[in-house]
Amino acid sequence: MSADVLVVIERRGAAPVRAALEATGVARRLAGPSGAGRVTAVLLGTALEASAGTIAGLGVDRVITVSDPRFDTFQTALWAAAVAAIARELSSSVILLAGTNNGRQLAGRIAIRWDAAAVTGIADLSPGAAGEITVTRPVFSGRAFQEVRIGAPRVVLGLRPNAFPIPEASSPPAPIAEHAPLELGPLPSGGAVTGFESAQSGIGPDLSDATVIVSGGRGLKGPENFRLLEELALSLGAAIGASRAVTDSGWRPASFQIGQTGKSVSPQLYIAVGISGAIQHLVGMISSRTIVAINSDPSAPIFKVADYGIAGDLFQIVPALTAEIRRVRGS
Amino acid sequence: MELLVLIKPVPDPDTRLRPNAAGTALDTDGVKWVLTGYDESAVEQALLLKESAPGSRVRAIAFGPAPRTEEILRSALALGCDTATWVEQPSGLVPDPMLSANALSWACQKTPFDLLVVGKQALDDEAGVVGPAVAERLGVADYGPVVDLRWDPAAGKFNLARAVEGGLERITASGPMVVCLQQAWNDPRTAKLQNVLKARRTTIDKVSWAEVQAGVGPAVPGTRLTSFRLPPPRTGAKMIAFKTPEEAAQQLVRLLREEAKTLP
Amino acid sequence: MVDFSLTEEQKSLQDLARKFAKTEMLPVAAACDRAGRFPEDVYRKAWELGLMNLNVPTEYGGSGLSVFDQCVIVEELAHACGGMTTSIIANCLALEPILLGGTEEQRKRTLPAFCSSYHLASFCLTEPSGGSDAGGLQTRCRLDGDHYVLDGEKCFITNAPHASLYTVFATIDPALRHKGITAFFVPRAAEGVVPGKDEEKMGHRASSTSTVKFDHVRVPLADRLGAEGDGFSLAMRTLDHTRTPIGALATGIAQAAIDYAADYSLKRHTFGKPIGEHQAIQLKLANMAQEVHAARLLTWHAAWLIDGGQRGSLESSIAKCFASDAAMKVADDAIQIFGGYGYMKDYPVEKLLRDAKLTQIYEGSNEIQRIVIARELLTHYA
Ligand SMILES: Cc1cc2nc3c(=O)[nH]c(=O)nc-3n(C[C@H](O)[C@H](O)[C@H](O)COP(=O)(O)OP(=O)(O)OC[C@H]3O[C@@H](n4cnc5c(N)ncnc54)[C@H](O)[C@@H]3O)c2cc1C
Ligand SMILES: Cc1cc2nc3c(=O)[nH]c(=O)nc-3n(C[C@H](O)[C@H](O)[C@H](O)COP(=O)(O)OP(=O)(O)OC[C@H]3O[C@@H](n4cnc5c(N)ncnc54)[C@H](O)[C@@H]3O)c2cc1C
Repeated sequence: MSADVLVVIERRGAAPVRAALEATGVARRLAGPSGAGRVTAVLLGTALEASAGTIAGLGVDRVITVSDPRFDTFQTALWAAAVAAIARELSSSVILLAGTNNGRQLAGRIAIRWDAAAVTGIADLSPGAAGEITVTRPVFSGRAFQEVRIGAPRVVLGLRPNAFPIPEASSPPAPIAEHAPLELGPLPSGGAVTGFESAQSGIGPDLSDATVIVSGGRGLKGPENFRLLEELALSLGAAIGASRAVTDSGWRPASFQIGQTGKSVSPQLYIAVGISGAIQHLVGMISSRTIVAINSDPSAPIFKVADYGIAGDLFQIVPALTAEIRRVRGS
Repeated sequence: MELLVLIKPVPDPDTRLRPNAAGTALDTDGVKWVLTGYDESAVEQALLLKESAPGSRVRAIAFGPAPRTEEILRSALALGCDTATWVEQPSGLVPDPMLSANALSWACQKTPFDLLVVGKQALDDEAGVVGPAVAERLGVADYGPVVDLRWDPAAGKFNLARAVEGGLERITASGPMVVCLQQAWNDPRTAKLQNVLKARRTTIDKVSWAEVQAGVGPAVPGTRLTSFRLPPPRTGAKMIAFKTPEEAAQQLVRLLREEAKTLP
Repeated sequence: MVDFSLTEEQKSLQDLARKFAKTEMLPVAAACDRAGRFPEDVYRKAWELGLMNLNVPTEYGGSGLSVFDQCVIVEELAHACGGMTTSIIANCLALEPILLGGTEEQRKRTLPAFCSSYHLASFCLTEPSGGSDAGGLQTRCRLDGDHYVLDGEKCFITNAPHASLYTVFATIDPALRHKGITAFFVPRAAEGVVPGKDEEKMGHRASSTSTVKFDHVRVPLADRLGAEGDGFSLAMRTLDHTRTPIGALATGIAQAAIDYAADYSLKRHTFGKPIGEHQAIQLKLANMAQEVHAARLLTWHAAWLIDGGQRGSLESSIAKCFASDAAMKVADDAIQIFGGYGYMKDYPVEKLLRDAKLTQIYEGSNEIQRIVIARELLTHYA
């Protein structure tokens, strides 16, 4: 039996968030080809047309809109009740949530309301025989991977962001239908949103807490060239680190130093730029989940511990990388 | 103000992770279980609120097996929680996060509260479903991930900020409610020696597994762990072949997204 | 039943100390060592948590811990920094003569102040003319009506520049040797008390050590501890109680040396494999592990005897002497395992050696400990 999947589409402004597009692709994978299982996308709020149109073209079987201003702000209880009600109505077997902060918050609530299992933070998944789904999720801050087999008849799945490809556009687009007004019964009232502060750019996270670190070495040739790293860091919301060659030369303060005599860090992603990879540097960053090295010397030791290497001139690669990341992250 | 804080014993972050013999879960042999990370921040937040509203009390609640669960409840008591509830987990049961949420919700409904504080996720399995699930069971609102939380005594309301993509949402809300806290925006205190000793003598209220089952129905996990593995050892970088810098950048970004899955 | 395991209570104390060491001491240890900085903020925090007056009974507001519990805590603190640990536990040493030799009135008058707010006290025994030969001290105390007048100079006094109270050992007549020694407590504020400048030390650089000059200092009769001539025995009984925690301090330094060295041995590669896979390094690590294990058990045993009401002079001497020698050996081995890096101040192990060295010298040098041990041993054969 193939899954009947309900995928919840979150929007920012007039467009679906990127993570929702990824979820749409996963939904198709879970349901199997059209005709086997069914993928329904649901959008809630007002002015849904443009987003609904985008999603309709991404290989779903149908799009349901719930045009109701109550959903223009995010209240977990309200959203969870609505999604669970629709899933019940459609007899869905899977509810798929994008890896956003809101998506994270919804999973447990929907699962209770819909009497389902819930698994979040999924980085990979494979539909198995007999309707079972097996998912892989990084745990312990990426230091290990867990595989979970889901036997429950209904399950809420939460995805990790940026872990899945965006599906190709398909034609013809799926039909879009407005749902009848939802009667949700009594719900706890949420608080009042009193303001929004957009994240300040320029102030990166602290080195020790950062999930992404962009680190520069002597290959940068001088303090003025750290500008290149700053732009890359900004595009990723990353913190900046440095090798001791850099801090010793006074290009950056000592607090930036990573390694034996500097800080020990273990971010999800560590990008070493113009760093040779001396053992004293490596001990401070070797436990990073993914290591990328950019170095013009193909035999630099850093490539022995990196996951991905680009043997090239950082002055060309880094700006291109910044541009590409800006492009895919849509900022 | 009546405050509840949910905590969970997790392996000390310095633990060297190893899979068990069957390769299905963490080998817990020799693991030191601690109150840390999100949970430590949650306890700190509850204590700060308690201090900001005289007459408040904090109850720490944990679900898990002996002896580690009792130990972290004692850690919470040593930090300044007033009372503690231990929801006993029978040996042999491997709970999934939803089952834990159900068990905890049963203990939570025994104490009327204004605010229930919980970490946004546990440091080990990072599920993040417990707070909202407990909120749903108890029929109260939930907010998360919360990065700022204050009590406004004049208004009798909480002012909080939750992280959303691209910024912070400021919210004013009244209890009872559940708040799922982001880690590390407060600076958790260290327990005083005398309080550590006193906490060892405090009685911990127990909720038996039989009572939980009678209360929330037969709890069967809907999921099963089938594998626990460490990332493969590094064997040298996958070198990206390219003709132009743009091509190199595109390939790298694609690999980070689709293969490594670590692009934010 | 003999039991070598820690109680749940002791494990909690260990966790507390370990956490404090890791979050408050370790991050500043290297910088304090380099600058010779006395990190008062760390000491204040230690005081707030109750880590400072470990031996003072709870009725005076102290932590009221057994010697064993003190050892458990001290080992964890010393793992992060031996020097800071010495300064943190100096109150235990300085207040012990009041606990052992003071009247109830004297205890009530002195001890609560240390437990209700942050204050340091110093133990003043050693003099420039000699430390090991405590019977030969030269600082004089002369009775003048209802006061004694103190004259003399003490040296190498831990925390002296920062202390508000000194326990001082002086003699009514040097010719009487041991029999003339008398103990007092003297507030820093008393006229004529002049601490000297902080010494530049090889290790324990986060601790502060100086001379204290007593220049016609008038001490009320009521501030004498015990009777005239009781001072020597009081000093010795005090050291019987504090010597064992010094063994724990040395054990903590040694354990840190193993932890750094073992970790490094798996990361540093030579000849195509981690140095920890070369047998020569493995043998070294194995010897280090034996030393530390023995040091810890000897310390625990001495503490257990003392807590059980025995004097434990012999066992505490064995523990202190063995553990401090072990710390030196193990720190030395750790440097060797680190190779050239071990010799660099950027790496943590050379500090361990410098810190370990003091544990062989103070609270009774290891030569003196061996004299005590041998004397005790030989009585069984005489
Ligand atoms: C006691 C001690 C402690 C130490 N502690 C630390 C520590 O904590 N942290 C630390 O980092 N180091 C530490 N070191 C120093 C360490 O041994 C190295 O010297 C240092 O890490 C080298 O820094 P680097 O990689 O930036 O410089 P280099 O080794 O000089 O490497 C520069 C790299 O940049 C590359 N490059 C040059 N131009 C370009 C270009 N245009 N595009 C791309 N790549 C380019 C080169 O190929 C080279 O690989 C310590 C050393 C000692 C002795
Ligand atoms: C950092 C530091 C902190 C200190 N803190 C304090 C403190 O707070 N309070 C305090 O009172 N003192 C303190 N001391 C002093 C310490 O206890 C003495 O240094 C120690 O007791 C040795 O005394 P000494 O230095 O005078 O050496 P000496 O007594 O001169 O001995 C010199 C050497 O001769 C050896 N020796 C002496 N007698 C004999 C013997 N009979 N047989 C064989 N060998 C012998 C000794 O072992 C030593 O190796 C501190 C010392 C230091 C370095």
